[in-house]
Amino acid sequence: MSVMTIYHLVAIFLLCIGIFGIAYRRTLIGIVLSIELILNGAGLSIMASAQLTPAPNELGQVGTLLVMGIAAAEATLLLAIFLVVSRRFKNVEAGKLITMRG
Amino acid sequence: MENLEYERLAWALLYGHIAIIVIGGFITVLSQNLVRALVGLIMTLFGVAGLFFLMAAPFIALMQILIYVGAVSVLIFFAIMLTSAWPGGDESGTISVRKIIFAGLAAIAPAIFLGMAAILKPPPSFLIPDEIEVGILGRFFLEDFILPFELISLLLTVAMAGAVVLAFEMRRKK
Repeated sequence: MSVMTIYHLVAIFLLCIGIFGIAYRRTLIGIVLSIELILNGAGLSIMASAQLTPAPNELGQVGTLLVMGIAAAEATLLLAIFLVVSRRFKNVEAGKLITMRG
Repeated sequence: MENLEYERLAWALLYGHIAIIVIGGFITVLSQNLVRALVGLIMTLFGVAGLFFLMAAPFIALMQILIYVGAVSVLIFFAIMLTSAWPGGDESGTISVRKIIFAGLAAIAPAIFLGMAAILKPPPSFLIPDEIEVGILGRFFLEDFILPFELISLLLTVAMAGAVVLAFEMRRKK
């Protein structure tokens, strides 16, 4: 097994445990934690694919940085959305948010 | 002889970081306390940063620590504090066995397919990556990748403006 396969298996582990968390967690914040795990796995996979193959190294590093930027933007917006949701519904449990009306 | 020792050290570092990632991932997903889950996430992020260092990409590893551990984790911690998801609150209590089984099945499906693809058809790869300078990376960003670079800054601006607008909207209604 090459080193790249090991890195890819770690990335797949992060993806799978993230999916497990999305299905398993009850609050929206737990779901966001799982989404961060998945995004990190994506970055790891992109980086391994670029650094350990003949592909240009810059491509992987730039791709990983872009994934990080998207994750940061997503976290900012989700914080505001959770604030609004928790004030309006008094909790952040995913199963209890069944209406879109304010 | 010395090379062999370095190689052993590298393997030990690799598996150590993988162990940190795996333990942190399980803490993140299974802990009933959301603050503890966040600490597990931070552990995983540090492990991934270590793997970036091992892949000879120190700049990205430092960015990982700066952006994820420094910014995103603090944001999530604010989200935990400002919403009423208190420790021992929303995430505690028994979870039905059916839900655990379904979640496990959802996680196993990509594990089988992607894992088989990664193990059975590995593309040719090297053991030792070469390091590129940060200056080359910056040139790459500002010459070849200028459009994605600008788009990501636009995305960040829009996300921040949207967050502020959402928060102020609530206050006006009150």
